[in-house]
Order: sequence, then structure tokens, then C-alpha cells
Amino acid sequence: MANSNLPRRIIKETQRLLSEPAPGISASPSEDNMRYFNVMILGPTQSPYEGGVFKLELFLPEEYPMAAPKVRFLTKIYHPNIDKLGRICLDILKDKWSPALQIRTVLLSIQALLSAPNPDDPLSDNIAKHWKTNEAEAVETAKEWTRLYASGA
Amino acid sequence: MDSEDDMHDANDLESLDDDFYSGETAMGSDDGDAGYDFVDNESDDSEDITSHRQQQNYTILSEVDIRQHQEEDINRVSIVLSISRSAACILLRHYNWSVSKVHDEWFADEENVRKAVGLLENPVEMQNARELSCGICFENYPHNNMSTAACGHHFCGSCWRGYIGTSISDGPGCLMLRCPDPSCSAAVGQDMINILATDEDKEKYSRYLLRSYIEDNRKTKWCPAPGCDFAVEFVMGSGNYDVCCNCSYNFCWNCTEEAHRPVDCGTVAKWILKNSAESENMNWILANSKPCPKCKRPIEKNQGCMHITCTPPCKYEFCWLCLGAWSEHGERTGGFYACNRYESAKQEGAYDESERRREMAKNSLERYTHYYERWATNQSSRQKALADLHSMQTEKLEKLSDRQSQPESQLKFIIEAWLQIVECRRVLKWTYAYGYYLPEHEHAKRQFFEYLQGEAESGLERLHQCAEKELQVYLDAETPMKDFNDFRTKLAGLTSVTRNYFENLVRALETGLKDVGSSNSQATCSKTSSSKCLGGKSKIGKIKAGGTTSRSGGPSRSLDESNLWSCDQCTYVNPRSTNTCQMCEHRRCTT
Repeated sequence: MANSNLPRRIIKETQRLLSEPAPGISASPSEDNMRYFNVMILGPTQSPYEGGVFKLELFLPEEYPMAAPKVRFLTKIYHPNIDKLGRICLDILKDKWSPALQIRTVLLSIQALLSAPNPDDPLSDNIAKHWKTNEAEAVETAKEWTRLYASGA
Repeated sequence: MDSEDDMHDANDLESLDDDFYSGETAMGSDDGDAGYDFVDNESDDSEDITSHRQQQNYTILSEVDIRQHQEEDINRVSIVLSISRSAACILLRHYNWSVSKVHDEWFADEENVRKAVGLLENPVEMQNARELSCGICFENYPHNNMSTAACGHHFCGSCWRGYIGTSISDGPGCLMLRCPDPSCSAAVGQDMINILATDEDKEKYSRYLLRSYIEDNRKTKWCPAPGCDFAVEFVMGSGNYDVCCNCSYNFCWNCTEEAHRPVDCGTVAKWILKNSAESENMNWILANSKPCPKCKRPIEKNQGCMHITCTPPCKYEFCWLCLGAWSEHGERTGGFYACNRYESAKQEGAYDESERRREMAKNSLERYTHYYERWATNQSSRQKALADLHSMQTEKLEKLSDRQSQPESQLKFIIEAWLQIVECRRVLKWTYAYGYYLPEHEHAKRQFFEYLQGEAESGLERLHQCAEKELQVYLDAETPMKDFNDFRTKLAGLTSVTRNYFENLVRALETGLKDVGSSNSQATCSKTSSSKCLGGKSKIGKIKAGGTTSRSGGPSRSLDESNLWSCDQCTYVNPRSTNTCQMCEHRRCTT
């Protein structure tokens, strides 16, 4: 079983995630794979995603913590840095990863990304263009999508 | 220089074809100190050409040299700035190994420099706790099992090893390694690598450091020859880009293609691209094939009648001329071998477009093939000559010395001849790339270029012939031959004459043939201004304008300068005051 020789670090991180969860974030490991986490992030207040519950999956690769975790949105979301497959454009998940970062810090960064979309460094060109040309309208669409897909049903 | 610039301005043809001469030639640089001066080495005929060309505008560095230079630079910075060697190394790498840049920046704003490269001024005090938690694996370890950069972020040995190993396997970015803590920018230098990494990683790191010293430095490059470990340090602004590595590979420092003087880097890049480009294949297909009317695969008609049957599975039968179905052909259409549907349709202009394209492609392909063949032939000739030179150096010279009872030191002229041949083949080869890009409408330039190229080429052929065939006689001879000294004179003469021709060619091309076409004067072959024939000390170089159009490019070698005559044997131009050729000692024919 893959879980048998799980590094102490992962065990400790998991324990802490469960015992002291970050506000608006929950992450629990899958029962049959301790490296796979089901994640939920609440849409931050005063963002177009407010009121939404967003599901994500997070996987810790073999090299973790030397390599970054793999994270992706499962809930459809209208955001310039997230594409239709749920992939996230975030520097700490790529070249800015450091082994001193943790699952908690990654998820907090993603939550912050929802509060502050960055259309200048887009993953989805169309949404980014929309954001830059007519932000009010784009925000409306994001709210609409949140209502449609992330209403927590 | 002034006059050259004037010519440049006055010559409006020049501006039309800027495109063709763009790129970085040594144009306008002082002719005198380019390393190509074959002409002015009258005094050191015995010295071989290779060493002559290495006029110190570059240095070849072995790995040992590189490490030594790097050590010296690091030491200098370390001493001047009173910082550790490891810190000096980080600084140098940040400023692309420029010692002066490091000094300038450091003394201008030390604080900013420290911030930029991650050298903390006040290392954080070690914590006194006996046990610390590693920020990566979350385990607790005794204080002395932990390590930190100057910032005080402690991590355990195994996590450091993993962190460093990951960074090193990601590539040369490991040279800019920082503390693992995401908020910290403290640099991790070689001192820490050497304490914390595995032996394999230490070795890799040290190689990256060595490579960086060459690759990030503007003044150095690796020799591009496969498997060659030498690097070249080049002195900027010294004109000629030709570099001869210790591995004997000649290359252009600027574009790192093989040496291509006098043709500029831009032309060479275009030519190489052209040679490799699929476009030539396409041109050939276009010119020599037609698509099957049914399956559209291209068909080359290499023999036979106009009745074409496409290969299976298509098997479509059609007429090559009109591309119509063969079943419609017969007596009606004018017989099997003359499709009058094609003839009449052609007259009506129905086939014109595709036919014209085919025709054009064919012409341009033929033109390209013409130059390419000559380029490639000289390339292989050069390879052959290199091999011959090698066998001469390793075995034949000794044999010849034996047969002709000559000390080997007296046979250097043969090596020199072969070196000259190798070099000339290289130059000649590239002049064909040059010729290909010389615009058709520049008639005067083309004529002048082809004249110079022709002269150089025939000189080289004579030299090559002499060094290859005539020498053989003396190699085969059982006993010393009396006329060996004549042979020596002839070969040495041809070597020198050929050198002159190529010198002229090189200079003319490097100045973009700009002496042609201005005002009403045409350039003549510059051999008339060779320093030797005028008996003066002035260097060859400026092509004298003068003479008339009819003379340039003409086959006649009669030179109407009354004080010169051209030798019948070696074509060398001598002053009228002598009756024996200064080059080959052939007597002047006075008829």
C-alpha cells in the first residue's frame, strides 16, 4: 500500500490541516490514497465568487515536498487565471515552488487568487480579454457562474 | 578611410542591396591589422600560415586555463571587496563574470547589490535552542545537525541535500540558488553546496560553474566543433572574426558557423538555411514533376512516352501533356505522341500559369544548383586537401626529405603550399554563396566579382595541381633529382601568387565590391597595386580605380600600365625594370 511509508512531513501536514483548518478552506485526504486530497474553498467575501463553494483536487507527487503539489479546480469557475479544465496559473505551483511551502500555503494562495484575479498573466485568453475590456461585465459573468455551478448543492 | 567612406556615400548602388551585404562584416575596420595579411609577411616566409593568422585577437583556453582564469577573477573580487570567495563567485556570476562591472556596481551601491544577489550583510545569530524543527520535513533535530544560509532559516541535512539536488537537476539555475524559505532571498553559494550536497551534485555544480564562466561571459565562447572542450576568449573590436581552435577547427567567432571570411554572417546564415531548407526540395518537385490528376501525388517523368500510368493503388492513366484521361486520347487528339489538345490549349493560354511557375522554379533551381555544386565541390576539395596536408606532415615529408636528400626544414614550403590550398578552398567555397546572393542586375559588380573569383580560382587550380601531381614525381624518384630546386621555386611562387589573388578577392568582397560602378571609372584587378610589384612597402589593399570598362573582366591580361609586365608562367605582375619574374624567375617574353 502506498500509504505505508508516507513521509512524516505529509502526516504532520495532514494532521494540522484537519485539527487547525484555515478559514474558508477544508482539505481532507482520500481514504485509499493519503497523497490525494479533496479540497473545498469558499469564495472570498467581496469577490465575484462570494457565496460559492469550490471543489478542488490536490495531489502530492512522489517528490513532494521537493516538487510542488498538483492542484486543479473541479468546480467550473470564470476566472482569468484558471482554464476550463480547472488548471491554475500560479507561480508557487510552478517555478516559485519551495519545499518550505505547504499545502496550507498553497490553498491560501489560491484563495487569494480568487480575491485578486490577475488578467495580465492569464491562462484563459478569452476570459482575460473580457476582464480587461469590460471588467464589470466579466465580474457579472463570474457571479453568474458561481451561482450556476458553485452554489454548494 | 576617408576615401572609402566617400566612395560608400557616392555609390548609390550600394544602398539598393543593403540587404545582401547586411550582417556583421569587418567592413570599414582598419585593413591593416586584420589577421589576414598574407601579403606583408615577406620576411617570415618560413613561418607557417596558421601561426601567422593567430594574431593575438583571441586566446584558446583549455579547461585548466578556464578554471585558472575563473579562480583568479574570484580571488581578485574576494580580495578587493573583502568578501568570501563563495560570495565573490555569486557576485561575479550575477554580473556575467565581469570583474570591472562587479567593482563598479559594488562601490556605487553596495546595499543594492547585496540585496540583488542575496548576500546578507549581517548574518543572523545562531539560535541557542538545543533542538530545532526543520522547515521542510518538520522533524526535530539537534542544533548542530541543522544548516542555514546567512539568514538563519534552519533545515536538516537530508532536506538540504534534496533541495540542492532538485535544483541542480533542473539545470544551471542552481547557480542562483536561494534559501528554501519562500520569503527569504539569502544566496546559497558553492561553500554550502560543497558541505551539503552529494558528491555527484558537487561535481555537476562545479561543471555548471565552469560552463557559466564561458557561456555567460560576453568575451568567451565554446569552440563549436563536436567533442571539443576548448573555449575561445576574443578581444572585441579587433575586426576579423576568424578563429582557429587548437582542435584545428576554424570558425567565425561572431556566428559560430565555420569560418567564412570574406562572406558576412548574414549571407552565410541565409545560405546554410537555404541548403537545408525544404524549399529546394519543393522547388525541384515543382520544376520536375506534375501531380497525378486523380490522386495528386507528384510524378516525375524520367523517360518514356506521354502515356502515364500512376503507381498503384491509383493506376490512373493520363496524358502527361494535357493531364487529361488517356482513354480520351487516340488518333483524334493528334496521335499518341503529340497531344494537340495541349498545343491548342497552350495557345489559348489555358496552361500558362502553372507552366510558367514550373519554368520559373526550374530556372531558379538551376541557378541555385550551379552555385551549390561549386560550393560543395570546394568543400570536398578542402577536406581532401586537409587529408593530404596531414599525410604530408606525418609521412610524405620525411620520405621526400629522404629521396631528395633535403633536410625537412628546407621542405617547409610544401606544407605552406598545402596550408594555402586548404585556406583558399575555404574562401573560394564561400565566394559561391556570395555569388548566389549578388543581385543579377548589378552587372558591373558581378563582372568584377566573377573576374576576381576566376583569377583566384585558376591560380588555386595551378597551385593545387602543382602540389598534388608535380610533387609526386619527386616522391617517386629513386634518386635526388636535379630540378628539385626549380620545383621549389615554382611551388613557392605559386603559393605566394595564389595568396595574392585570394587576398584581393577577400578584400574586394569585404568592401562589398564598392570600388565598382562609381562615376565612370572601373576597377582593375588590384594585383597592379600589390606592394611587391611596385617595390614599395605599402600594403596591398585599396583597389586602385582606373582603367576602362573594356578591360575589366576581359580575358586579356595585357596591362597598359607602362611600368608593369605580367609573367607568362605564373601571371605575377612585375615592374618593367626587371626582366625576370620576381616570383618564379621565369624570363620575360619580350615579343
